[in-house]
Amino acid sequence: MTDQEILQLYRSGEREKAFRGLVSSYKERLYWHIRRMVLDHDDTDDCLQNTFVKAWQSLDRFRGDAQLYTWLYRIATNESLTFLTRQQTRGGRLDLEAANRLSTDPWFDGDKLQLSLHKAIAKLPPKQKAVFNLRYFEEMPYEKISQVLETSEGALKASYHHAYEKIKAALKEEMDEKY
Amino acid sequence: MNEQNDILRNPACRENPFRMPEGYFDSLEERLMGRIAEENVAETQRKTKPVWRIIKPALTLAAMFALVFGMGYGVLSLTHTLDRGAAVEASGYATAEEELIRPASLINYYQASLAEESELDEETIINYLASELSFSDLAEIYAQSY
Repeated sequence: MTDQEILQLYRSGEREKAFRGLVSSYKERLYWHIRRMVLDHDDTDDCLQNTFVKAWQSLDRFRGDAQLYTWLYRIATNESLTFLTRQQTRGGRLDLEAANRLSTDPWFDGDKLQLSLHKAIAKLPPKQKAVFNLRYFEEMPYEKISQVLETSEGALKASYHHAYEKIKAALKEEMDEKY
Repeated sequence: MNEQNDILRNPACRENPFRMPEGYFDSLEERLMGRIAEENVAETQRKTKPVWRIIKPALTLAAMFALVFGMGYGVLSLTHTLDRGAAVEASGYATAEEELIRPASLINYYQASLAEESELDEETIINYLASELSFSDLAEIYAQSY
């Protein structure tokens, strides 16, 4: 179902049908985006549900000046950032703890390189992590990332460049030079 | 940037190493609809008690003002009572002290008690008092008369 079809269904009063269409169209993309932020599956499930519930509650206020796609990514990213920030204020970093447990995590099938990569990403500040993931893994254009994170494209480019160099240096320390 | 040494250009880095429980997405929609139904019920319950939600903060504010006002009034009352007591005591002592050293009252006393019993004139009485009695004697006589 396209974004236009979803919005048309919603405005014609078929709210539940529209919402199911929304979930069906975006559940996988949003799940993996959140998962790369928080790493743990159960935490991802919580954040994903919160994202869709908030989307349901706010859909009547959606003006259509932004795409449904960037609007949903914004909600999902904010949910993930709120989750990570809440963990930090409690004196912990669940994402760092989860990264350290990745090697024994039954829901992680990566090799040594992928393990080192995600551990290095986990050490980034939450917002910089979001920038890196959206650009590197999803190849989202800076214009879209700017709408998702409500940050200027210039700032995003600088943030991504610094994150890229940080991770590259961290991987070089850990991996064999043949890579 | 040296692309040969750029480890992040390795395609393996972009592959997804994460898995999820089997059938996770299949049940997601139903779990979400269940949660939304619960949220709607909770929202309805919140909306049916508008009167109490409006009154409660107003009552709390009124109670706070009453408490602050009562405390302030109590402090002021207590302070005012102490000041008045001290003033009364101070004025009473000053008055008594002034009365003790007032010569006219002493003269009145002796005029009343002695002049009736003898033919002594006022001048003689005054001279006697001034020469024969000390200040403390005079104060004692006065205190007994009053």
